[in-house]
Amino acid sequence: MIAPNHAADSAPAADEGREIRVRILRQDAPGQESYWERHAVPYEPNMNVISVLQRIAAGARSADGRPVAPVTWDCNCLEEVCGSCTMLINGRTRMACSALVDRLLEEQPEEIELRPMSKFPVVRDLVVDRRRLFRGLERVKAWVPVDDSYDHGPGPRISPEEQEDAYPLSTCMSCGCCLEACPQYTKIEPVRREGETGEAFAERRQGAFDRGFVGAHAVSQAMLFNAHPTGKMIADERLEALTSAGGIQMCGNAQNCVAVCPKAIPLTRSIARAGRAATVWAIKRLFDR
Amino acid sequence: MNVSTDESAAASFLGRNQFLIYRLFSLSGLVPVGGFLAVHLLTNASILGGAESFQGRVDLIHSLGALLVPVEIALIFLPILFHATVGFMIIAGGLPNVGSYPYAGNIRYTLQRATGMIAFAFIVWHLIHLHWLGAPVRGNALPGFDPHHASSTLAVAMGSMVMNLLYAIGMLSAVYHFANGLWSLGITWGLWTSPAAMRRANWVSVVVGAVLAAAGLGSLIGVRRVDVEAARAMEGRREEMRRMLEGEVPLPSARMMETAVEPRAVESPRTGT
Repeated sequence: MIAPNHAADSAPAADEGREIRVRILRQDAPGQESYWERHAVPYEPNMNVISVLQRIAAGARSADGRPVAPVTWDCNCLEEVCGSCTMLINGRTRMACSALVDRLLEEQPEEIELRPMSKFPVVRDLVVDRRRLFRGLERVKAWVPVDDSYDHGPGPRISPEEQEDAYPLSTCMSCGCCLEACPQYTKIEPVRREGETGEAFAERRQGAFDRGFVGAHAVSQAMLFNAHPTGKMIADERLEALTSAGGIQMCGNAQNCVAVCPKAIPLTRSIARAGRAATVWAIKRLFDR
Repeated sequence: MNVSTDESAAASFLGRNQFLIYRLFSLSGLVPVGGFLAVHLLTNASILGGAESFQGRVDLIHSLGALLVPVEIALIFLPILFHATVGFMIIAGGLPNVGSYPYAGNIRYTLQRATGMIAFAFIVWHLIHLHWLGAPVRGNALPGFDPHHASSTLAVAMGSMVMNLLYAIGMLSAVYHFANGLWSLGITWGLWTSPAAMRRANWVSVVVGAVLAAAGLGSLIGVRRVDVEAARAMEGRREEMRRMLEGEVPLPSARMMETAVEPRAVESPRTGT
């Protein structure tokens, strides 16, 4: 006979009837007014914010029993590598999948508060449009330019030291926590004008994004690919982007990015390295032209 | 229509030159504005060595004569105005969030902006209060500063406790802004890149800030110690000497030597003029 697990048996009894109260800042569509809505779900051990949201969606009733449209959110991998479930949980930016309910209740026992990221336009409820984040990566050409079908042979060797330096930067999952916490990265949400074509609006929006701060994630990726032996072939193009409007100069050294990064990426080191590279590049350009 | 095109032209100029403008902004905080702050506070601190030592430093600065005003405009006023203008633009573009993210770096970021604004307001007040630029504004309502009677006029102008408190707040804001700006500047230009190097640089900034804060607070204490009557007498003697030396220029050098040794001997001819 297997010895009874008293701890497991007694746990549900202690938690029976216990409810988790959740307060969610909802928004029905882009540009609409947001509103708070309260929900309650039965407590289960080892919940995370995603499983709470799943219960809320399944119930589709607010805490006072009113039928409501299910709350929407983004998520994918559920193991903190895809970067899609970023939201403001108890006022702080983090991944919903790795935000454990037991910890959140220790932090704030009455209620869990969920808000969409404040630096990106809301699509609906907790879903935001992070197009600008990915545009930032495009601006700094955060890739290795080998986009053809020729056989270039083996690439240059990368020393273990360089690998160790680069690896943490390569763990970036584009979650946007660094941007959400950055006081220099402010929301850009252009609205489509009456009679404006979709193309014209997309172009205007891209222009607005391209004048805004590129963000810590893009600066760090630019440094990752500028350190790569093949990636560095377009190092100057990345530095050109980093020294154009909304580039590295917009950083205010608040260093929130590195404090909130779920992957503990040394973002401020990348920013300082980008500052140094930009200094050298600007001086070189001044004397070489 | 015209307004919008003008705005976009200005925005595009600022956009194209944003990197250069922000780097010049960063540099101007160190040279010349930060450098001037250091020289100013250390000069002020000489009042701890007595009214005469302070008067000596002031005379040294004013020995630039006619050059003083252009030097002041080019190396002090214009750089401060540039630094403040770009600084206010930067502050307007940011969104402090120290309430949600109360980390040390974020607190420093917020304080940097707060102290920058306090320091600018203080500098405007300081010019009105003590500088010749502010003379038309203050009129006879406030006692000003006379560089030939440095300690005594300063002691009178700084007579009230409120004024001392105001100067302490303004000065400490400027010192914090400079010291923290020094640390920040090193990251901006890429002088210190690793977290360990940033921590070491932080200590350098703390020491620079502490020395300047001590010099600034020391000068406030020094001014309170000044015996106005004794300082006036000392300044009167120096003033006499200065006028005499200026008046001596066309005379032979032998006469100058003589008067320098025995200044009181030529007092009577000068009193008439």
